[in-house]
This record gives sequence, C-alpha cells and structure tokens, in this order.
Amino acid sequence: MASVTLQHVEKDYGSLRILHGVDLEIADGEFVVLVGPSGCGKSTLLRMIAGLEEVTGGEIRIGERLVNDVAPKDRDIAMVFQSYALYPHMDVSSNMGFSLMLKKAEKTTIDGRVGAAAKRLGLDSYLGRLPRQLSGGQRQRVAMGRAIVRDPKVFLFDEPLSNLDAKLRVHMRAEIKALHQQLKTTSVYVTHDQVEAMTMADRIVVMHDGYVQQVGHPLELYDRPVNTFVAGFIGSPGMNFLPAKVAKGGKVDAVLADGQKLRLPDGLPLSDGDALTIGLRPEHIRLADDGALKAEVEVVEPLGLSTQFYVRLANQQICVFVMGRSDVKPGDIIHLAADPTSLHLFDPAAGSRIG
Amino acid sequence: MTYAVSEIRAAGRPRKQRLSRAAIEPWLYLSPAIVLLVVVLLVPLIIGISYSFRKFSAFKSEYVGLGQYQAMLSDAVLGQALVNTLWWTVASLFFQFFLGLALALLLDKPFHGRKVVQAVVFLPWAVPSFLSGLTWAWLFNPIIGPLPHWLFALGLKAEPTNVLSDPATAMWGPIVANIWFGIPFFAITLLAALKSIPSELHEAAAIDGASPWQRFTKVTLPFLAPTIVITVMLRTIWIATFADLIFVMTEGGPAGSTSTVPVYIYVSAFKSLDKGYASAVAVLLLVLLIAYAIGLIAIRRTLVRHV
Repeated sequence: MASVTLQHVEKDYGSLRILHGVDLEIADGEFVVLVGPSGCGKSTLLRMIAGLEEVTGGEIRIGERLVNDVAPKDRDIAMVFQSYALYPHMDVSSNMGFSLMLKKAEKTTIDGRVGAAAKRLGLDSYLGRLPRQLSGGQRQRVAMGRAIVRDPKVFLFDEPLSNLDAKLRVHMRAEIKALHQQLKTTSVYVTHDQVEAMTMADRIVVMHDGYVQQVGHPLELYDRPVNTFVAGFIGSPGMNFLPAKVAKGGKVDAVLADGQKLRLPDGLPLSDGDALTIGLRPEHIRLADDGALKAEVEVVEPLGLSTQFYVRLANQQICVFVMGRSDVKPGDIIHLAADPTSLHLFDPAAGSRIG
Repeated sequence: MTYAVSEIRAAGRPRKQRLSRAAIEPWLYLSPAIVLLVVVLLVPLIIGISYSFRKFSAFKSEYVGLGQYQAMLSDAVLGQALVNTLWWTVASLFFQFFLGLALALLLDKPFHGRKVVQAVVFLPWAVPSFLSGLTWAWLFNPIIGPLPHWLFALGLKAEPTNVLSDPATAMWGPIVANIWFGIPFFAITLLAALKSIPSELHEAAAIDGASPWQRFTKVTLPFLAPTIVITVMLRTIWIATFADLIFVMTEGGPAGSTSTVPVYIYVSAFKSLDKGYASAVAVLLLVLLIAYAIGLIAIRRTLVRHV
C-alpha cells in the first residue's frame, strides 16, 4: 500500500488545457472519490495516475516514487474500467490471473490467488465461464477480481458502476466499500454521481473545468461548500439559490427580488446594499404558519416518507423538502421559514462563500 | 384453468388439419426466393456438372459417362496445372495476408496524413484486373519496363531478361501482380476488425503487464482470428479460381509453366473446344475447394466459440 501525491499536475491536449495544476495528497489506505460533471478532467487525472495519459506538467508520486515516466505495468496499480475491459476470449479465471501469468508466476500461486479473490467476490462457480456468459454485475465483479488478484498498491476505479442498473449499482456500491474496509488498499474512484461520492468516500475531491473546487470529508462539503458550484453539485435535491441584497437595520436582513425579507446570521462581513446569493438546502426550509416568506405551490411530489414541494418564491422556483405527508395542493399559498444559521451566503460575482 | 378431457380432445381434432396447412404456408411465402435461387444457382450448376458426362465436338455432343473423368487421370498437363494452382494460391495468399496485416496494423496507428495514405493503399483493388495484368506484364518487359534492369542491378538476375519468358521463374510474375492486387483486401478487412477492438482492452493489458508483443498475441490476434479465417477462406477460393492476371500476362505459358486449373479449363473449353472435359476439370476444382472450405469453417467454429 502507498500514498499518492499529486503536485501541480497539468494536462494539455494540443493548446487546450484540461487540468490546471492539481494538488492532492491521498493518504495510505484512503478511499478518495473524484467527482464532477463530464468534461471536468476527473477521468483524465485518474488515467494520468494509471500512466495511460502523459503528464504535461507537475509530479505524480506513488509512495515516495516519482512515476511520471514509469510505464503503467510498473506502477503497481490496478484499474477497473467503466466497460470492465474483460478479455472476451478468456474465461473468468484466465481474466483474473492474466497479470500473474504474464509475470510467469507458478500455476499453484495463480490458482490460489484467483481462487481466493473469486471466493471473496462470490465468483467460485463461474471461473470457467466466458465474460459474455455473465450478467453485468458478475462482469463487474470479475473486473474487481482482476484488480484484487494483483494485490496492488493503489486501486483506480473509472466510473465502474455506470453500466449497471440502479438497484445493482446501490448493491455494488456497498460491496466495493466493504471490500475496501477489508483490504484497506489506497483507492481513487472517479464518478459523476454525487450520491456515489457521498456514500463511498473518505474524502471527496470536487472538480470543475480542470480545477479542484474543494477537497474534504463528504459532510464537510455538504455543510460548508466553498462556492456555489460545490454547493449546487453536492446534495440531492440540490441547493436553492436566491439573489438578494443586504439591508442593515437593527438586525441584518436580506431583501429578495420581490421585496420579501429573510433574516441573516450575525457577525458576517456584510455592509448595507451588498449583493448576495443565498443558498438554501431544501430540507432547511420549514413550513410555518406565518413565516416571513410567502410562496405559491406549483408542484407537490409525495414520496411517502417525505414530501417535496416546488414553490415560486421571489419569481424563482425553489425546492422544499419536508418529512411526512402534507395536504398542501398546487396553487396554495404557503409560509416558509429558515433558520439564519442554516443559510449559505455566496458572493454573486465570484461564487465564493462568505463566512 | 381446468378443462374436461373431452373438451381437449375436441379442440385437438381440427388442429391437425390446421397444422398441415401451417406447415405449407411458410414455404409458400418463401417460394419466390426459393424459385429464384434454384433457377439462378442450382440449374446452371447441374447443367455444368451434366456437361462433364458428355463429349462435345463441332456439331454434336454425346453421352460418355465417366469417360472425361477417366481421361483426367492420365492427363499429365492437368497434374502440372494442379501443382501450379497450389503454388500460385499459397504464394499469393501468404504474401497478401502478411503484407495486408502489416499494412492494417500500420494504418491503425495515428499519423499525419493517414486518410490520404489509406485511400492510396486501397487503389489497386479498384484497378480492373486486365489493366493491372497488362501493366505488370510491361513492367517485367526489359524493353519498356524497369523491373528486369533493377533486378539485374541488384544482382538477382544474371542478365536483364523477362521473368515471364523463363519457365523456371514465369509464375513469379503473376504472383507479384496478384500480391499487389490483393493486399488491399486484407488491409481493409483486417483494419475494420482492428478498429472494433475496444482501446480499453489494450489499456487493461498494458496495466496487467503485457508487452506490446504480448498485447498483439494475447489481445489483438484472438480478436482478429475469426476475421482472419473467413477472409483467408474467401481469398483462397478467389485466388484459386482467378485466371485473369495469368491469362493476360502469360496465357499459361511458357511451356505450361503458369497454367493453373482455371487457365487450363479456359484453354480446354475455348481453344481445344472440349467443353465436356473443361466441365469435368471444373467439377474437380469445385470439389477440392468445397473440401477446403469445409475444413476451414470447422476451424473457424472452434475459434469463434471463444469470442
């Protein structure tokens, strides 16, 4: 096992810069998830760690060793691809033992390690099958098995669950996490699905347009997003954003576009008339009897356990999430309230967090 | 649901009649295609085979049973033609395949101007075989072509004479022309097969520790194998029955040294005017090629099982 260190890693395709100086320290045994929308550079970064893409600038270290110019096979890593990339003409045990066979390991060693990995993944009875005779979830497990058999220093996952149906994805998510808890191998996992990131990661790296936006524990990102991008990306249903202006009286208020007022927390570096973007998580909005905010209900989504409303507030549709059930119907006017400490305030120009 | 036994019996009886109608019905729908296939494929084949049991002379033909086949047994020229056919087919195929594979592997790598090179490489395929035969015959001609002089300059020939006029070397002329003519076929089909290999497979193999040669033998070749078998089979049949180049360049000569079976069939039918004998030889070639194809398809079946 080993740590992975990225120092100002850059990647250009021709004149197009894909990654703008990524710095990241991944500790030994940590499970780090790179998350972001497609085109943000997360897969490229992973492929650079694997050695499948050349490094334009900066340094990549696995353990203490600088690996910029080391071939993929000498980096002591294993990768699980989105398409699984199983060798279609080899059966499951040959697929899993391929790397050991290339290393000219003893047949008994190969059989032992393949057998152990297969047992761990519940593939014992499929060892003689070809990949096309397996279901999607089984193929995914074979791809994992191929990685485990190598006993690498680092596991790299490139959207490994994207090709599975929703139910299986949830199941495999838990399985990968359990596997990591057993093996404790340093893992870097790429996904565009923030739920996957939140549920699996020790730490999440949010990327956007080739820049790292924020690195942190899942709940840290949820509770204190550093900018509007992270705030909007993490969490489902997503955070609501409302433009507002600061109005300082005895207390500090925010004036929304339609003139309604919302109490802001004290002690922030705000002056009268400042423009603001207020971030409000749907579950932090309460239905009140006569709160400060009036809104018209447009859509009601009853989910049984909870109810989601889409309401029009200050000429914007925002989402409200409440536990339990509700009699509120579309067209109703409801009153909303939010605790000042639950608000996230952002600079509307830079998008960065205030306070 | 539950039925009384008598009800089931009652329901079963009219079904029998319907079944026989149902058995005929699909064949009626298929009949236009079947009639067309029989008329276009089977009838000429059967007539051709029936010719091989007859002897043709200027104004009449007579039934001679297996006479033409008996004549083949003692025909030394036919024996030579069979050997020539084998030599012509194996040599052409060997070079076409390996050069075509090399070309496909080169064209699979990205480089500047690849599109143009691809288009140029596939040109020989588009040239009519008679034209390429004539061009190559002229290239080998010491009076107008450069090849004999180059071979002489390289020390491969004692004097700059025509390769095609020496019985010992004449076969190489059409073979070289045929290699030039047939490389694009393998390059096109193998390149298409190469393009169908997902790049992630090569990446996975690279991470697993495979060297470029191991990636070729363990990933690329198994993927290409089914395509290779089918193209080699098609190509063998085409080359074995392909007479244009030889006929244009040497007419089977000198001294029968380039006479392959198809050339011999042509000469028998239209020069010796013995259509019966030509048909018998053609049937022999047909049987040989069918046997070859069956063998190769059996091999392919074992390969395809894995992909």
